[in-house]
Amino acid sequence: MSAVGAKPGGSAGIDPVASVVAIVLMIVMLAIMYMIGTPMAFMALIGIVIGGVLIGFGVMFVPVGGAPAAMGQAPGIATGVAMLAAGAGLAGLFGGAWAAQTTSNLLVIVITGAVGGGLMMAITCLFVNFIYVYGMGIPAASGKVKKDPITGDTQTEYKSQGTEGHGLPFVSYVGGVIGGLFGGAGGTLIYIMLLDVYEESLPAMMQAQSGQLLPIPAAQIMPIAVTLAGMFAIGLFLVNAVLAAYNITGTIEGPHDPKFKRWPRAVIASATASALVGLVAIMIVAL
Amino acid sequence: MTVKVEVIEGGIPHNKIMAAGLIISLVCIYLTWLNVLTGTPWFAFFGGLGAVAAIAWGSHTIKTLCSYGIGTGVPSAGMIALGSGVVAMLLATRYGVATPIVAVVVAAIIGAILGYLSNNVLAMHIPVMIKSLTELAIVGALTLLGFTAMMTGNFTFSALATGQVMFLGFALPSYVSSYLGGALIATVFMLAAIAIQHPFNACLGPNWKQDRMLMLSYEVGFLSMLAAAIMSLALISIGAALLSIIVALIGWWYTYNQYLVLSKRDAAAWLDAKPFPEEAEGP
Repeated sequence: MSAVGAKPGGSAGIDPVASVVAIVLMIVMLAIMYMIGTPMAFMALIGIVIGGVLIGFGVMFVPVGGAPAAMGQAPGIATGVAMLAAGAGLAGLFGGAWAAQTTSNLLVIVITGAVGGGLMMAITCLFVNFIYVYGMGIPAASGKVKKDPITGDTQTEYKSQGTEGHGLPFVSYVGGVIGGLFGGAGGTLIYIMLLDVYEESLPAMMQAQSGQLLPIPAAQIMPIAVTLAGMFAIGLFLVNAVLAAYNITGTIEGPHDPKFKRWPRAVIASATASALVGLVAIMIVAL
Repeated sequence: MTVKVEVIEGGIPHNKIMAAGLIISLVCIYLTWLNVLTGTPWFAFFGGLGAVAAIAWGSHTIKTLCSYGIGTGVPSAGMIALGSGVVAMLLATRYGVATPIVAVVVAAIIGAILGYLSNNVLAMHIPVMIKSLTELAIVGALTLLGFTAMMTGNFTFSALATGQVMFLGFALPSYVSSYLGGALIATVFMLAAIAIQHPFNACLGPNWKQDRMLMLSYEVGFLSMLAAAIMSLALISIGAALLSIIVALIGWWYTYNQYLVLSKRDAAAWLDAKPFPEEAEGP
């Protein structure tokens, strides 16, 4: 009945049968896209899958503390995976969308998005630590490792008894920024791929739907294309972020956490989910 | 329009709530099609009622899912519901009058595959995972579709993408000032996502009561409907928008008071504090 007393599920191993089924599903979706869509739409779907994998992999780096972190009983940022991933990804998306207006160089756009996401996470981590240290009066200490893998600082002396560590150790901060970079890049890649497809195919499709004889100017279609691409990028981002959250089940400290070893599952699930949702998103104009 | 909520031993079974939510939501969304048949905008508010029914169903689905302890917080369920639902809903708007049915089918497919991924690939091993994520995707699609139908009076793609601007007394078609072009869908997305996850998030715990949570879900549903109805002033005739606002206000006021009654019933004790304390009398 109660959600409070229940134990989180999830184990560390990979289910080989389910993983193979998922990969086959992804290939089937790519094949469907290859058959019904234009070559450009097919390439866009591959870009979306790569973007989804970047998001799913990047979320594993982010130090998620959840409610225990808010009480100073676990390290990490004191909120859930979905919120953190959405924050970093949407900040990256804004950066990438801004860059897309000024340049058509895909690499520049994606890197701008990554910087946006990384910046968002860096600021979040900084102020989280500020509040932990000066507001709650707790030092940063990891509970999962004896020494910080980057700085080599010992952790156990600073860890309070009965907690799993607290605050935001340096390695978690770095993990958060890396996660933000991956998430922002992935979200932006999805947005750009969808925007390209919509800019190409939407005018013809709207023409057919509206039943007007006069041609609709492409510039007027732009807001629709931007909204559609943005909404689908947000939808894909949230789906991938929540799947990553289900993979983590609860809290994670960053790349040094034993739970980080679960990343292959996150990559498989994100790739399949992105192929599925991306296929549906492109089908709006491809069918 | 609402499912009758009564205290039953163990509460209403989930399948009953699911069936009621699906049918009421679909019927209400289809009632907005009367706009097209009669050529008036007055039936738009039914879309909001359909969304409220879907939100109540969704909050109960989240309850059945999250009582297994998914370990990631309740809000993530609302996010994945709308994240998968928005894709299905936007694809479905291409199919004219069949839109709600197509939205349900596409959302069910997406939700089932996402459920398989989280249950087997990500090794959650929760018995209701696949069923719940399927339901949540349908709830997300229907909620968005309901609010969309209320705000635009229609649910076809060309209606969502085309708005009107008045220029020298003539109504000219405009794509910028439309539901999609103005990105109003992004606001509705968040309104619906928060409304779906909030009721269980607020009511969970040992003192969880089904009727109280469902009443809260109607309350947040009508509150979201109110916000969506105010936004619909930009898209639909003022009379139809005012009708939606009035329906939402009445629904919200009733369900809010009912929720207060239920909360007081379940509380151990309460202090009836007033928002503005009366001035102390005497010297």
